[in-house]
Amino acid sequence: MKRKIEIGMLYSRSSSYALIGEASRAGALAAVAAVNADPKLDLHLVPVERDPGGNADQYGPCCEQILRDTTARHVIGCVTSWSRKEVIPSLEKLGGTLWYPLPYEGFEASDHVVYTHACPNQHLLPLLDWALPAHGRRAYLTGSNYIWGWEINRLARSIVTAAGGKVLGERYLPIGACDVDRMIAEIRATRPDFVLNSLVGASSYAFLRAYHALGLVDPHFRAGSCPVLSCNLTECELPPLGEAADGLIAAGPYFQGVTGWPGPGQFASAHEAASYAAVRELARLLAHRPGVEILPLAALLAGAGGPIDAGTHHTALPVIIAQVRQGAFKVIQHRGTVPGDPFLTRAVPAATATLRVVS
Amino acid sequence: MIRPVRTQNLGGARATILHRTHPTVQALTRQLVAIGLVVDQVWPELGPEALAADFIFFDTDMGYDAQFPWPARAAPMPMIALIGSEAPGRIEWSLQIGAHAQLLKPIGDNGTYSALLIARAGFDRHRALNAEVADLQKRLDQRQTVVQAVALLAARGKTEAEAYAQLRQMAMAWRVSFEDAANRVVARLGAEGKDDQRNQG
Repeated sequence: MKRKIEIGMLYSRSSSYALIGEASRAGALAAVAAVNADPKLDLHLVPVERDPGGNADQYGPCCEQILRDTTARHVIGCVTSWSRKEVIPSLEKLGGTLWYPLPYEGFEASDHVVYTHACPNQHLLPLLDWALPAHGRRAYLTGSNYIWGWEINRLARSIVTAAGGKVLGERYLPIGACDVDRMIAEIRATRPDFVLNSLVGASSYAFLRAYHALGLVDPHFRAGSCPVLSCNLTECELPPLGEAADGLIAAGPYFQGVTGWPGPGQFASAHEAASYAAVRELARLLAHRPGVEILPLAALLAGAGGPIDAGTHHTALPVIIAQVRQGAFKVIQHRGTVPGDPFLTRAVPAATATLRVVS
Repeated sequence: MIRPVRTQNLGGARATILHRTHPTVQALTRQLVAIGLVVDQVWPELGPEALAADFIFFDTDMGYDAQFPWPARAAPMPMIALIGSEAPGRIEWSLQIGAHAQLLKPIGDNGTYSALLIARAGFDRHRALNAEVADLQKRLDQRQTVVQAVALLAARGKTEAEAYAQLRQMAMAWRVSFEDAANRVVARLGAEGKDDQRNQG
């Protein structure tokens, strides 16, 4: 006999970052289908969806609707850190848990959030640890104008300068804005060794297309001499980029064709994989324990084992660096499985200061 | 100038919570452990082992001076007030005992990380200012020595301005502070003066 359990889904399907939301949503729905089809699990998950339409101020009210009007206590979704921070007060007030399946900037460990994608010790630190010796220590930083870009670039600046390198420029665009000319002009003028791109959605596509065009007229700005690095680029955003994607380098827990996580099967992108893994882990925690779906997160996780740390609610994940070649990611480096360290207090940051310069 | 906030060295740092057993302690401990600190709780007094703590969280509702093994405002580590009753008297006491930051009770899901960083920045700033004040105080105390040294150098046929410049050059040559150079000059020339007087006498 299957227990019917409602779970909330909070994805913006019409925002400038809709491709990421759709990838994440597809993974969550695939996991719901897999759980419901599994005769060994006593669960039938019923998705309850709300679409905040890419408006940060709608996330809180949408989350409250789910928690107030349905029996769902677990909600999966939110793409940006901005939206995640908007729903936390609703989760606290109404006793819900958010499963947040996107990479983020760290420095958070809410009682009401499970972080199932990478934080900086699982994306930015390994990415720079690889990039500084491979490409040089002169960086240009871009980002969308909110906490993700700000904090990723703050960390990048401290790592680059601690390694004896230099940040040549740092510039932001509001989410959705596409006027990238100034960034491109600054990059052209300063000729960095690499660009770190923390723009999201449409801004990112506009920037990457313009940067690709720059590379066509000046060969320095091609992947061999000045690659663009990213902590959140996956296969789901390659279609709008076309040829402009070639040479882009990203860190993430999954790229198409890599096996081992999150279990058997192929996924279209890390966003899809992380959402799939989140719902499967939730199902594992709920299965054969009637009534636990209303427990607070701490009680649900207590003694349950699994990849989620009961203290930080962060997830141990593979760390992979890969590059787009002929339209698909090819793995450059697989660094094994690394526990999440949201406050960067558990592991010593990579010893970038001792690395040699490669010209 | 605001320097970048110091986020390092929280992993394995020791936080002591001076509060009776209470859900406040539980909630605070959860946040501190998630951040990576090692936590202990004591009540009603900070024992000698408190000196080894890197942060002190203390209750302002039931707190009193004698709980702390150091004078008011002289804690050797950052202190964070846990404020329940926002009565002016209690806030005043928390400031007087030396809070560098505060957290409001009931303690929920967040606030601890900012309290740690803000308290540490405040503590660092106080310590740097105290050192600067002590140095300035010492230099003020030595004004008389400087006047004496300039007078002794001027007595050897220099104008006051030339004597002052000479003293500055001596300090630079000896790589000591202006006041330390004045001390040396007074010790040497003053002693010679006394010798002279003795010889004459």
